[in-house]
Amino acid sequence: MPSKQDKKPSIIWFQGVTCNGNTHSFLNLENLDKLLNKFEILSHPSLPSTKDFDTITNCTLVCDIFIFEGTYDPLMKRNDVLISKVVEHYAKNAKYVIALGSCASFGGMFKASAPHRNSGLLFNEQEKSGPLLNVQTKIINISGCPIHPEWLAYTLSMIEKEREVEIDDLHRPIELYSTLAHHGCTRNEYFEWKVDADGFGEKEGCLYYKQGCRAPMTHASCNKILWNGVSSKTRVGTPCFGCTEPDFPRQNLFSTKTNMSIPEDVPLGVPKRSYLTMAGIAKTFHINRLEGKLIDYKTTD
Amino acid sequence: MITKQLIDQIEGEASIFFDMKDDVVDFATIAFPHFRGMESILKGKSALDALVITPRVCGICGHAHLMATVRALENAYKNAGYPIELSKKVEIIREFTLVMEMIQNHFKWIYLTIIPEVSKLTDSTRESTPLKGAYAASIASKAIAIFGGQWPHSSYMIPGGITTDPTNIDLLKVESYVDELISFFEKESIGISLEQFLSFESCKDFNTLSSDISYLESSLVTMKMNEKGFAYDRFLVIGEHTFSKPSKLKQTRPFGIDAKYVNTIDSYSPDKVSYAKNAQYKDEFYETGPLARAIATNLPIVKNMHRRFKDSAYSRVMARVFELATLLKHAKGLLSEIDISQKSCLKSVDISKITATGTGVVEAPRGPLLHTVNIKNGLIQEYKIVTPTQFNIGSSSKSNPTPAQKAMIGMTQAEALFIFRTFDVCSVCTTH
Repeated sequence: MPSKQDKKPSIIWFQGVTCNGNTHSFLNLENLDKLLNKFEILSHPSLPSTKDFDTITNCTLVCDIFIFEGTYDPLMKRNDVLISKVVEHYAKNAKYVIALGSCASFGGMFKASAPHRNSGLLFNEQEKSGPLLNVQTKIINISGCPIHPEWLAYTLSMIEKEREVEIDDLHRPIELYSTLAHHGCTRNEYFEWKVDADGFGEKEGCLYYKQGCRAPMTHASCNKILWNGVSSKTRVGTPCFGCTEPDFPRQNLFSTKTNMSIPEDVPLGVPKRSYLTMAGIAKTFHINRLEGKLIDYKTTD
Repeated sequence: MITKQLIDQIEGEASIFFDMKDDVVDFATIAFPHFRGMESILKGKSALDALVITPRVCGICGHAHLMATVRALENAYKNAGYPIELSKKVEIIREFTLVMEMIQNHFKWIYLTIIPEVSKLTDSTRESTPLKGAYAASIASKAIAIFGGQWPHSSYMIPGGITTDPTNIDLLKVESYVDELISFFEKESIGISLEQFLSFESCKDFNTLSSDISYLESSLVTMKMNEKGFAYDRFLVIGEHTFSKPSKLKQTRPFGIDAKYVNTIDSYSPDKVSYAKNAQYKDEFYETGPLARAIATNLPIVKNMHRRFKDSAYSRVMARVFELATLLKHAKGLLSEIDISQKSCLKSVDISKITATGTGVVEAPRGPLLHTVNIKNGLIQEYKIVTPTQFNIGSSSKSNPTPAQKAMIGMTQAEALFIFRTFDVCSVCTTH
């Protein structure tokens, strides 16, 4: 009789062209041990694993969940074996393939290492033309540079509980990526009243108008599921760089491209005309409370 | 006969090619196979974009890359005639988050890398507890995230300061994380108070402990690692910090140092293409990292260790443990000096006005990390990165081996593999 132990879904975590950022981000997960106990880790870049790396690259095993971290480079070898062979083998036999991070999802940072051949597993930036087209129904993209550990924990837990993970057009779990990085930003009031930040290093002001913030156009839950459980880029005054989207990394990340002082890219799904009208009206108001330092405004009415 | 050994479960992947004679290593070459082309990715981009791109060189020490970039950019501002003043608050907070990244690195290295290796080599039945390292690292990451928004891959340092403007609420939270780390270290790692541990002056003091760290220490002695793994017994510290002192050391004798004398040469790796260049100082190899920093700052326990066991694998490992302890105390001290009323970021001229070259050097967990940027009208013309692993674990010829190659000669293969890991290998950084 198979014991309960045998029923744990097995995981192989395999890396392409990467910085290890997703590996290290995942190690920050709260109650990591409880999640790991639900799975059999056949191979992981830093956690105890039941199989050695030679066994993994021999491609004689199979696993339930194949996690791929990093950009896919068809010419890259791990342990002298082409990763194209390793990826094909495990993807074919796994129930789920998780493309972990923006590199594995879309090409990401290291697409630029060899732009003509590097890509994500299923997508090459926005275009669905990656090497795993033939098994695309198994693929879940968890984009982000790096991923938030809770995003992976959510996906793995859903799989373990045999619940369906609904995905968007870019194969990202919609529960994580239907919100924008803007949702939950502590600077929202400045965004509403169009009060821009006066440079960096201030608690006050919205970073969307001048400092390059991509949060209103970026599918992510960074201000809902806080980073390291405590904060986010925008909460510490750093603009969102849109790292969960297929066009990451964009250029000129610390400045907003504007036309006649209006951001060229307006918030997602908002008609440009409506946005201009609304912004124009909001700009005519003067709200003392929002124009100085919050901490100096001591009137409570 | 040359035999190949794959090294995984380090930061990235490396291969060692052993030439064995009479069951000991006659010579070994090292290859880091995965090229990523970070320097060319940066070319042509806005210089400020480097603040987002270079942390992505490395998942475990990206914050050190961020700090090297911001220092390089600020140096370029200065060289272009627009010197940047930083408030004391900015200097302290930057230093604090860098220290926290080192702390997370050392905790992970101790629990995920070195203790499991020691147990394997000594056939210990002791239960391995790798997740202790991940837990402590996650607390250090929280402390970084309060200031930096997130870890890994924060970009909160910018020319002129930091993007964050912390409150007392933030400071109190960070203090509580540091306290949590200290009590974790006391309870789970050393079994005595941090102060008692830091007052150790002799390696014999370890005999009084019964804890993870004394297990590590006594296992190293059992493995005779105090008699093995010697490199050149010369050290290099280049980054300017409150927790170390830039110097070139021959044994324990310090000499002056200037980053401009760092040179790189092609590596020698006949059995496999390696994308790592070797780093030297005035054409000589030096060891970098915690042992170098401890000797530069005259840390009594490490000086005692060095007197008895020189630059053995034992000293290398225990210096890293001790650095963790000293950094925990140092971090607490840094926090007490923060004056939140000071400016977080002073305005500087637009980057498009800058045409200059700048160099930024920091001490990363494994040693000096150098970034040099050449900027024309705000755009990157050239970007050069030299990482600590290039100093420690390059691959050179038999007549002039790198510190790691030298340390492996004469060892059994199993010993050599362990000694290799005592340098805390970062392949991803090396093949930037």
